[in-house]
Amino acid sequence: MHTFYRGQPEAVALPTRTEHVQAIVRLCRRARVPIVPRGSGTGLIGGAMAPRGGVMIGLNRMNAILAVDLPNRCATVQPGLINLWLTQAVAARGWFFAPDPSSQMVSSIGGNVSTNAGGPHCLKYGITTNHVLGLELVTGTGELVRLGGAAPDPPGYDLTGACVGAEGTFGLVTAVTVRLRHQPEAVKTALALFDSLDAAAEAVSAIIAAGIVPAALEMLDDVMIGAINAGIAPIYPAGARAVLLIELDGPRGEVEAQAGQAAELCRARGALEVRVARDEAERALLWKGRKEAAGAVGRLAPTYLLQDAVVPRTKLPAIMRELQAIAARHGVRIANVFHAGDGNLHPLILYDDRRPAELEAAKQANEALLAACIAMGGSVTGEHGVGLDKAKHLPLQYAEADLNFMARLRGVFDPDRLMNPDKVLPSHPACGEGFRPRRPVLPEGAWV
Amino acid sequence: VSAAVAARAVGPALGAIVGPERLDAGGEACQRAAVDDLVPRWVVRPATLDQIAATLALAQDAGLAVVPRGSGSAGALGAPPAAVDLVLDLTGLDRVLAWHPDDLTVTVEAGCRAGALGARLHARRQWLALDPPGAAQRTLGGIVATNASGPRRVRYGTARDLLLGVRFVQADGIVTWGGARVVKSVTGYDVPKLMVGALGTLGVLVELVFRLHPVPDAEASWLATFTHAEPAQAFVARLLDSTVEPNRVEWLSGPALAAAGLGHAALGVAVSVGTVSEAVREQGERLAGFARATGGPLTALSDDVWASLERAQEADVGTVLRLSTLPSQLAATAQEADRAVAAALPGARARLTGCAAVGSLALLLPALEPAAAAGVVEHLRAFVAGFGGHVVIERGPRALRAAVDPWGPVGPGPLALMRALKAEFDPKRLLNPGRFVGGL
Repeated sequence: MHTFYRGQPEAVALPTRTEHVQAIVRLCRRARVPIVPRGSGTGLIGGAMAPRGGVMIGLNRMNAILAVDLPNRCATVQPGLINLWLTQAVAARGWFFAPDPSSQMVSSIGGNVSTNAGGPHCLKYGITTNHVLGLELVTGTGELVRLGGAAPDPPGYDLTGACVGAEGTFGLVTAVTVRLRHQPEAVKTALALFDSLDAAAEAVSAIIAAGIVPAALEMLDDVMIGAINAGIAPIYPAGARAVLLIELDGPRGEVEAQAGQAAELCRARGALEVRVARDEAERALLWKGRKEAAGAVGRLAPTYLLQDAVVPRTKLPAIMRELQAIAARHGVRIANVFHAGDGNLHPLILYDDRRPAELEAAKQANEALLAACIAMGGSVTGEHGVGLDKAKHLPLQYAEADLNFMARLRGVFDPDRLMNPDKVLPSHPACGEGFRPRRPVLPEGAWV
Repeated sequence: VSAAVAARAVGPALGAIVGPERLDAGGEACQRAAVDDLVPRWVVRPATLDQIAATLALAQDAGLAVVPRGSGSAGALGAPPAAVDLVLDLTGLDRVLAWHPDDLTVTVEAGCRAGALGARLHARRQWLALDPPGAAQRTLGGIVATNASGPRRVRYGTARDLLLGVRFVQADGIVTWGGARVVKSVTGYDVPKLMVGALGTLGVLVELVFRLHPVPDAEASWLATFTHAEPAQAFVARLLDSTVEPNRVEWLSGPALAAAGLGHAALGVAVSVGTVSEAVREQGERLAGFARATGGPLTALSDDVWASLERAQEADVGTVLRLSTLPSQLAATAQEADRAVAAALPGARARLTGCAAVGSLALLLPALEPAAAAGVVEHLRAFVAGFGGHVVIERGPRALRAAVDPWGPVGPGPLALMRALKAEFDPKRLLNPGRFVGGL
């Protein structure tokens, strides 16, 4: 994330009905004016910025829960509904909506769908797409289409799946049918402190190798520990250079057995201490440092670049060593808080925006780190999305043919390319009109 | 250029690409590869990605209709093809390319059979949780291309939830990659989703990256039996509205129970739970409570019951309808299926199995004339339309699939987008032409 994206729309519309959305899209299309959809604006990728001006459509007023259908484990909601409100609406009956991005108190479900948002608990429950059964979409041509629904396996191409994570470049989502889950019987949270990141990463591998799939498996490095201890409260003892937060949920017997096993595995890998929460208050305390981590780095630097790259989980120790080397090479400090269970890093590259040289160094370190993650078989973004921020990085991960396929896919939904321009796809020849990747060369004499 | 001239040129060209030993031009092999009685002129058995790409590039230039083929188990799915010139047999690409047990990911070639992969993964107590009937012999490319699912979907989802990355070859021979090799990625559009259930009509699947799961420490299975459909549905409803986390929740109508040798009750719901042994026991007690409350006695089943259920289902080679219904409509769907089957064959009862927790049921039809079977399809479509359900002919004779659209209606909005997708990526309509929804 760069906090320096700017771009002002010429007009902002706050529709209250699907027909309004459709009418605005048709009007803009006739006038060839770009459209930028926006939910709560909590995204980290400049996805809701208007670099080319145009009309911004804020979906905040379309925030109703249209239907809750617990017998069929689903709900249909409007896109402006705040993520947490859905869980709050069904919690008393024992249910919840699983995707839990850290922004869930303010981010909208439409935004979650657009970015295919994750969260700490997607290790066990999957990211947003795994919980979306159907969509109502106003496409780039202003057509209103209903895709998927509560009944399983709708025949035809999985257009619902293709639209989740399209970041508004296919159209605007005006309603979403999501899967709801029953709350687990038991939750157990433990915190393990280590004197090195390597030891903590080994514990992660050991837990996974033991056949345990925690609901969440989060890690903090020593820079972050220092920031939290100084900025929030002295939560972690001196000497702790890595914190591993382990949350297990499920049937009580399973949680009890696996919590004991996970604690044992941590101790066997040299954990200095393992704390297990005995009640909800203690659980909240263990999560406190993790949840407030990003805020705590304000103590260390006025600004930071937030990364979201992914590496295969087994490459965590290697990428953390590489990260230290990159930080040293570019003379920057990097604080780390990440989803260790699925290898999703969130390095915060610290800089002072009053010093241009620091920003430049941070950007270079960011590029080097991304390249290192991709070289290890990883991905540019695990859960934040591409937006304006990472479009230029897609060629790191995809060849021309792959980019071209995506650009043409987008053209099927939005032939005029007015929906959220400059997001997701890079300005690369392969994404341009009329580009054709090279076809295979047939053997000599194979064809006349 | 006349067809005869083109045919003479294509044969040597294909031979130059894959070698003569991997090419059949006419003869017995082509007869065996017929799809709905359409005999291909060539059967190509590529050994490499490059050979697939070159074959498709050539087919594109020559305007040949291509049918990708795995184990051949889904040959009776979809509408009869508009044309079949070349069958691309992918069973030669059957390697496990990379298995990273500690990352819980595996990369396989599309012709790899689920049984062969499963045997390898078992060594580290992991599995790829895709278990459609007959999975062991089916190729993973075929399972993904047909979006085939089985009982474990209640816990692990379907191919759309488990496929992380995919390498495929477009109709014009361009090798394309979508998704990622890690368990979490949102970089670019979710191309793998488009390939699931697309029957190879947007590209031929070549390489697949899957998410794996650990095999639970312990597993146990039970059967609750009922005299009517309503209490069986109530049992499922109680189970879903609880903290019990089942692996499987299978609806089994009387004929399905009998076929699997599970007694003669009117109806049953078979449930399995997989976790640590202590929790398995606890959850079994909870299930017994739900069964008591809904009037269905609960009996323990042996672990091999799932294999017998699968065998019983596989032994039946007749027509299979996939009913996409809702958990709240299970009883009504079962009753409607009984009515429809009895109307077609007086005295017959519906043999219905499938995942009750998501409402994905398979109806195995008795031997019926095509018109009568089509009547069952239409009857059930009219019923499920009321709540957005679907009826797809998963397997059936050509005459039936010619008499009634095997996929059923798709809304005009989504269908227009699907047509546009097909037109963009296979404008000459050469990949499995005519077999997919809306005649795509």
